[in-house]
Amino acid sequence: MKIVGVAACTVGIAHTYIAQEKLESAGKKAGHEISIETQGTIGIENELSSEQIEEADIIILATDVKVSGKERFEGKRTIQVSTEVAMKSPNKLIKKAEEVVTQQS
Amino acid sequence: MSVLRQLNLKEHLLTAISYLIPIVCGAGFLIAIGMGFGGTSQEELIQGEFSFWDALATMGGVGLGLLPVVIATGISYSIAEKPGIAPGMIIGLTANTIGAGFIGGILGGFLSGYLVIALIKYLKVPQWAKGLMPTLIVPFFASIIGGLIMVYIIGIPVSAFTSLLTNALNSLGSSSLLVFGGVVGLLSGVDYGGPINKTVFAFVLTLQAEGINGPITALQLVNTATPIGFGLAYLFGKMFKKNIYTPVEKEAIKSAVPMGFVNIVEGVIPIVMNDILRCVAATAIGGAAGGAVSMWLGADATVPFGGVLMLPTMSNPWTGVAALVVNIIVTGFTLALLKKHKSEEQVELEEEIEEEDINLDDIKVY
Repeated sequence: MKIVGVAACTVGIAHTYIAQEKLESAGKKAGHEISIETQGTIGIENELSSEQIEEADIIILATDVKVSGKERFEGKRTIQVSTEVAMKSPNKLIKKAEEVVTQQS
Repeated sequence: MSVLRQLNLKEHLLTAISYLIPIVCGAGFLIAIGMGFGGTSQEELIQGEFSFWDALATMGGVGLGLLPVVIATGISYSIAEKPGIAPGMIIGLTANTIGAGFIGGILGGFLSGYLVIALIKYLKVPQWAKGLMPTLIVPFFASIIGGLIMVYIIGIPVSAFTSLLTNALNSLGSSSLLVFGGVVGLLSGVDYGGPINKTVFAFVLTLQAEGINGPITALQLVNTATPIGFGLAYLFGKMFKKNIYTPVEKEAIKSAVPMGFVNIVEGVIPIVMNDILRCVAATAIGGAAGGAVSMWLGADATVPFGGVLMLPTMSNPWTGVAALVVNIIVTGFTLALLKKHKSEEQVELEEEIEEEDINLDDIKVY
């Protein structure tokens, strides 16, 4: 399964990156291809390419604030949570994403 | 409730705060440095009649004066995207002018954002007028409706409430200050920069925008002291012959403590996650102590962020130092006391930790 997502928090210096790291390692552990873009106060890093988004089975948005470029994900299956959830329960969140994808197909 | 969730008020407020923080920090340091060297923040810089330090203080002053505008514009933008910016600014400036301040700015931002959304959704114009929609119709109608509501309906009660709140807080006695500081410290400690912390932050930032610096100083000193306290706990643990951290956690501490000095509390999150109850208890107790001391002594930084860098901006930097020391020692001692000793085998086993269940309310799928 291919997962892409965005992490963004209020101050944009810590939660954003912890959420990214937790999600990416949980995703890889479950055997998925995963890439999380970070939208911190410094700007966008690890930007998702349009091919990555096109190919993704599901989008995970772990955000407390407004996401820049949300229109890129229009029409894709999307899970929206706070950065808190992504940090506390990354593995369960990935599992939830798997469920959503299977339900859909 | 579900309607409220749909509106996502908190997300919009947090988005605006995320735009606000760098402005407050930049302007806060300018005014602190300028005033520290004897400058004053002036209405107008008249050629030849101001010093270098007056210039710095004035730059900071105008920046801080814009906060209601920034919060209104940020909220409005978060709700309505680009069309939200213009009316958000106008209504925010109006809030400033009528004396409704930061609270007025927050309300004005929501007002402006939803007005824009409603106008775009319900106002149907003929094809030839489509181009007028974003350039004239939306900004004009959102601004006139929102601005008039601000001036004639919200403005007066909000500015009355703001001055009431400001006066009440300014006249708190020392025992009330102890309690207030304790509560701020406790609440800001419990979730390490998470939603509760940010909600308290929004509130105390509002107070700072109204010129009351004590509460936000208490909050940020707690955020600064917590990671350092976690570091100190390691040393206290050694004194009790107790090994309280795993090797991974020890690595985390090494970066969490220096980050703590500059006000980033989030470095300790990986450690907290492994042992939530004990860590939160130690943080909350230390935070309550530090917050109480900070407000009681009257630590009053003019910047809302920066950790130890906030100290020079206080009228009496030793008050901040005292609050930090108390907080660090209490947190460190409590944590060392509460944490269980970890033997070598346990350290190996700790890697796989049980995750919290996800609350389905926290997830939106679409």
